[in-house]
Amino acid sequence: MNEPTGKPIKNIVVVGGGTAGWIAAGRIAAMHAGDGGMRVTLIEAPNIPTVGVGEGTWPTMRNTLRKLGISESEFLRECCATFKQGAKFARWVSGGEDDFYYHPLVLPQGFTKMHLAPYWQRDLKPYGQSFSNAVCYQEQLCERGLAPKQMTTPEFASVANYAYHLDAGKFAQLLERHCTQKLGVRHLRDEVLSVNTESNGDIESLNTRNSGALAGDLFVDCTGFSSRLLGGHYQVAFVDRGDVLFIDRALAVQVPYEKEDDPIACHTISTAQDAGWIWDIGLTCRRGVGYVYSSGHTSAAQAERRLRDYVGPAIEKLSVREIPIHCGHREKFWVNNCVAVGLSAGFLEPLEASALVLVELSAEMIAEQLPARRDVMEITARRFNDTFRYRWDRIVDFLKLHYLLSRRGENFWRDNRDPASVPDSLRELLALWRHRPPADCDFTSNNEVFPAASYQYVLYGMGFETEVGSLVHRLRDGKAAAEHFAANQKATTRALAVLPKHRELLEKIHEYGLQAI
Amino acid sequence: MTRLVALNSEHHRNLRIDTSKIEQQGAALRMVPVMPGEFLKLAIDYPIVLTKNAETGQFVCVALFGFAEGENLFWQGDSWESLYTPLNIARQPFFVGADDGGQPLVCIDEDSPCVRNEGERLFDEGGAATPYLQKMQGILAQLLDGERQGAEFVRQLQQLDLIAPMRLEVTFADRRAQRIEGLYTVDEEKLQALNGEPLQQLHASGSLARIHTLLTSLGHIYSLIERRNRRDAAAAA
Repeated sequence: MNEPTGKPIKNIVVVGGGTAGWIAAGRIAAMHAGDGGMRVTLIEAPNIPTVGVGEGTWPTMRNTLRKLGISESEFLRECCATFKQGAKFARWVSGGEDDFYYHPLVLPQGFTKMHLAPYWQRDLKPYGQSFSNAVCYQEQLCERGLAPKQMTTPEFASVANYAYHLDAGKFAQLLERHCTQKLGVRHLRDEVLSVNTESNGDIESLNTRNSGALAGDLFVDCTGFSSRLLGGHYQVAFVDRGDVLFIDRALAVQVPYEKEDDPIACHTISTAQDAGWIWDIGLTCRRGVGYVYSSGHTSAAQAERRLRDYVGPAIEKLSVREIPIHCGHREKFWVNNCVAVGLSAGFLEPLEASALVLVELSAEMIAEQLPARRDVMEITARRFNDTFRYRWDRIVDFLKLHYLLSRRGENFWRDNRDPASVPDSLRELLALWRHRPPADCDFTSNNEVFPAASYQYVLYGMGFETEVGSLVHRLRDGKAAAEHFAANQKATTRALAVLPKHRELLEKIHEYGLQAI
Repeated sequence: MTRLVALNSEHHRNLRIDTSKIEQQGAALRMVPVMPGEFLKLAIDYPIVLTKNAETGQFVCVALFGFAEGENLFWQGDSWESLYTPLNIARQPFFVGADDGGQPLVCIDEDSPCVRNEGERLFDEGGAATPYLQKMQGILAQLLDGERQGAEFVRQLQQLDLIAPMRLEVTFADRRAQRIEGLYTVDEEKLQALNGEPLQQLHASGSLARIHTLLTSLGHIYSLIERRNRRDAAAAA
């Protein structure tokens, strides 16, 4: 058996385009631009369609764009992109018409200094004020269609923390152009036919249809659901998480705006249905709408009816795509000299827009921790696998939380509350949170995905009660709490006064662009 | 309120302008857009800085009159305290509008306090423009051209990445400190690092001289602080 060699890792081959392939290629190329010996190649088959429904992002995308060297104005103009300030979950608890709550992106007022949750629960909740409105001003911005920044705010800077909604196909095109023209990524339009391996199991090269054998030191599998290298070649097992998250189908449709000046939602809208939920994402040129559901709890015909009810009669003229979803992820993500990024690594329902952020985090870790030589790659691979297994598990937990706290009566929802379908990690945390609010001490890993604040927004948005009784001896900061609530009211008034309408701001940005400073 | 209409020799034959009220129109302005052609005259008294147009986010050169919103430290009592009045103040109550075809048009704010029963006539008995109106038309023409020159100046600065935020913290006599946001200037280090073709172009276009005038004018921020201190002291007395 061969010992791993001291061969330097210089020749990176990314297999597959789309947002995963180009973000991976771009981040590696940008970070190692100073290394003259580094070579990044992306090979993609010309006729494989990309999935194109990954349309929500996290605030991390602002940083990713900046690290890639793409201007925010260019990104907004070319990708039909809009601002996203969080998610509105409608009908998730009782299912009633005015049942909704917000998971905003701005942290609760004074979060680093104290937890307002118990004070809110004791003093404000009885009077009907929601947790989100009590501690944060962003829900009001979303409800009124106001943007999170102004024309005078520099690129990537915010007045209110924000992320984006984007057209994934156009984003991939922008990334391709930028990576090839500005970052020196070599683009091969060709098909991979087979894999040549070395005696130690590493991929030595890929046999292509027209370009001969494509050699590489590290291969990044961005081949989508087919996972051709990690799953196909290395046969890494798929860990099915369908026992926790039941959704296994998606019906997606692109919905045009009725009028050119219809308001554009500044948040993702997720509306619960009898066997799943419908996403509604506003871009500049159209909306992206889809019903994700469990085929075990409804029929395809019924699902189509639900989608039609939501979209309206206009759906007759639109083409609806059916996409099967295998909810889960690979057992490992990095094997030998091959690492998977994107759908090839796994997929979960898009309830909290986790797909693109996992791509960003993977690309960042590969770029930042790129093994210098082959003989340390095993170490990096193991750390990568541990890191991302942790992250997938945490995302599964957080998504499950949305279902666990619902009180809807349909079978899909009842089954979701079956303790057998709840991971222990989530069950334990919930047990603790019965007696105190989620806190930073519950999330101690460097690899956490969601901050404690996110759990608070979902927990208290969905009516979870923390028994204040066991806490009351610690609630001595009533005066400070009142000051924070007042500060939030003031921040809300100010934000509503200075921030422009979402569509208007986007139109001006298209015309004038944002300044870099 | 303002009522902006195109100037018409029929309709406005008997209009008169009280020129003593012109500068008063700027009494509550903290800053006013200025054109590169005026920089040398502005540099006598005013800090020249860059700021962003609130509507478009684009950079524009302005003369700074004060620190707080609506504060004009050059307007004392009932007169403008400077040897030079920026053209965008002096042009009142006139401004440049556009007709349906986009052609520039001399317009007037009919509701301006400058528009009175006595003062300078705009048109003579025959409907021809008076020398006063001709002078004002000249100023408007200068401003129109100046706006274009200003945009070109900003474009040159941006192309060479010369615009930087001003980190301004001022402390007044009463020891109150204020951080001034939203103002920009030319980055002297980057300016100093220019050479060859870009530097030559900047010089040949006249912009290099204007940049130096702008940088020199920043010293007037100290005079502005003094004006504020004197005003605060007078108010407290």
